[in-house]
Amino acid sequence: MARFGTLNTAWMVWDSPAPAPEGAVLEYTRELEKFLAEIERRAFRMAQVALRDADDALDVVQDAMLKLTRSYASRPSAEWRPLFYRILENGIRDLQRRRTVRKRVMTWLPGPKEDPDSEAQDPLENVADAAPAIPERLMQGQAMEQLERSLRALPPRQREAFMLRNFEGMDVAETASAMACSEGSVKTHYSRAVHALREHLGEVW
Amino acid sequence: MNELDDNAFEVRSRALFHDSVEGLDMRIRSRLTQARSAALEAAATRRPWALGWKLWTPAAGVTAAAILGVALWMGSPLHHQAGTLADAQSNFEDLDLLAASDEGSGDALDMLQDDIDFYDFADKSANPGPAA
Repeated sequence: MARFGTLNTAWMVWDSPAPAPEGAVLEYTRELEKFLAEIERRAFRMAQVALRDADDALDVVQDAMLKLTRSYASRPSAEWRPLFYRILENGIRDLQRRRTVRKRVMTWLPGPKEDPDSEAQDPLENVADAAPAIPERLMQGQAMEQLERSLRALPPRQREAFMLRNFEGMDVAETASAMACSEGSVKTHYSRAVHALREHLGEVW
Repeated sequence: MNELDDNAFEVRSRALFHDSVEGLDMRIRSRLTQARSAALEAAATRRPWALGWKLWTPAAGVTAAAILGVALWMGSPLHHQAGTLADAQSNFEDLDLLAASDEGSGDALDMLQDDIDFYDFADKSANPGPAA
């Protein structure tokens, strides 16, 4: 009897030439949608911290979603999160590289210089808050802004380790899988990141 | 800076981050929802092809086997041996010619004997001796 090997490989291992049952596909799609819905906002904020631009962050998140669903959806759902964040980080680095090249080219061209890293383009301005602007929230916003600046000052691997471990709540093994490195490297990157951030932010933060 | 301070720092930074996630505006949330829908739709459009992978597998296997067979044949000693056989056949033809030449040596002697007879007849015709 035709059946799915696992739920996660619904459209890959269907053993019959007949179309897969509508219910199984729906269940699979729901699981994938649930995963993406659960992760998308944090992923966006992490991309935004790294890129300092809301539109660029949206682009890399969407690209990561597409690549995950197209290429890695057949993997067990436990692997989705590290895979997604590995794709996301690759997208962030690609974009940062393109920015660097563009910046170099722009310095050779006449006319006004474009500086994507300028403070005027700080994406925090795009993170509007519908809640009343009470002083406590303002202070939180300022503290987060300071934290983001400090995170951007970190080496990319330290920033990545800190955000995955602390913001996303991944354990060491999952972070190592997402960063494609050893667990020892994750611990080292994370420890250095924490100390560098604390040093940068100071005791009053 | 001790471990306790590190923990407090981690807790605070995590809380700030999650607050910022909760504070995302509707424009961003809407665009994220659209991105998710687009990704799921892209996966769904890919599905029919993936479902038919078993139908494609035999044809792809046969094609791959044929290509592999040709590649192996072109690079195999048998292919080179076939060329050697063709050369050998040409050599045999040459040998046949030689053999034919050898076999014809008898015919050549016969022809030479015929010529001698002809020349003898021509000589006698040109110089007829005294009538007996």
